[in-house]
Amino acid sequence: MIAVEPQRIQSILEAYPPEKRFALAILQDIQHEFNYLPEGSLEVVSARIGTPVAQLFALATFYKALSLVPKGRHIIKVCDGTACHMCGSSSLLVAIKQLLALEPGGRTDDGQFSLECVNCVGSCALAPVMIIDDAYYAKVNTEKLALILDAYRPGGEHDE
Amino acid sequence: MSITITIDGKPCVCEPGEYVLEIARRNGIFVPALCSLKPVLTERGCCRVCIVELVEDARSKVVVSCIYPVERECEVFTQSEKIVRERGMILALLKLLAPDATLIAQLAKAYRAPDLDRLEPNPEGGTCVLCGRCVEACSLLGTSSLAAVNRGVSKEIATAYHAPSATCIGCASCAGVCPTDAIPVVEDGAKRTIWNKDFELAYCEVCGELLGTVASLEHAATAAEVEPLFLCPVHKQKVLAQHLAHPYKP
Ligand code: SF4
Ligand code: FES
Ligand code: FES
Repeated sequence: MIAVEPQRIQSILEAYPPEKRFALAILQDIQHEFNYLPEGSLEVVSARIGTPVAQLFALATFYKALSLVPKGRHIIKVCDGTACHMCGSSSLLVAIKQLLALEPGGRTDDGQFSLECVNCVGSCALAPVMIIDDAYYAKVNTEKLALILDAYRPGGEHDE
Repeated sequence: MSITITIDGKPCVCEPGEYVLEIARRNGIFVPALCSLKPVLTERGCCRVCIVELVEDARSKVVVSCIYPVERECEVFTQSEKIVRERGMILALLKLLAPDATLIAQLAKAYRAPDLDRLEPNPEGGTCVLCGRCVEACSLLGTSSLAAVNRGVSKEIATAYHAPSATCIGCASCAGVCPTDAIPVVEDGAKRTIWNKDFELAYCEVCGELLGTVASLEHAATAAEVEPLFLCPVHKQKVLAQHLAHPYKP
């Protein structure tokens, strides 16, 4: 039933004792491994630790860090907290839409990028803030944006 | 050691640790409650409709009566000005959340909920107040097919992936405990449809009385480690009595 190599999920499962309290940790690891929770993975987790599938689904839909649809290779997070909003995060979102045809919550057709709007990431002095994967970009404007994104396009310097 | 509290002026004897709502009920004082369904389900304290004012050492506070344990002597007021105002607001908000729920509309009217014209009612309409009774009932049965999914304004009760659940047995217990009849159960004589899944209905083999779904009878039988009997209580008794009377007959 699993679309994505079952043994990879299996080894994640085996890293934890089969107890309900590890549900979130396991889901996070699966998310990390595949960039989403592949179809059927909730069932396998449920069978191992005994948490009902419905409750795992509740976790998967509650936490923004978990996703049931595939995410892009690179995840762009644009902060839209108060400070970043005032400093022009919405124009970043417009620019991203123009450059990548990408809206918050979406993924580009080639699977290279997905975009999320997040709330204050605690770096207001650097507003507007954009995060790609684990890298923070400060005081981003539309010119900078285009250059940053290019580095993450296929073959770009940050696209590994 | 028992203590005595007063509720709306009436002295009520209770044990420390008892919840205010239970004490009120036992003494014939009505406090509206939406999400509590004792003793069938555990108290959840999420609808806030059951709030009361509690005065202790000349200090007053608003408490959620279904989950507030009484520890010492106090005075409880279920209809004070403050309670009428705050409960009215809670009901007004619940009415915006579940604009199609008759019970909520009735409660809102009975408890003089204000009209909150400045707020939009839930654009999708609906009757669910997200009390979670259904989720707990399903989990108590060991089926756990339901959960509160998503969050914030898009929170809703659903099965995993919103798909027919592998564990659902169509017992409709969720619908049975729902205070606002928010869970549709459709029956056409041969099958029952609930949570996007169809179930074959079971009837008493002798008199034809409707027993529920085949899957729910099988689930109960498995839990009790017996074979499922498709008999109503009356005929089950008769068949068993016959069996006892003639134990050696093939
Ligand atoms: S469906 Fe009914 S029982 Fe379930 S949460 Fe909604 S109102 Fe409560
Ligand atoms: S608002 Fe963006 S970092 Fe605080
Ligand atoms: S009945 Fe007390 S909070 Fe719902």
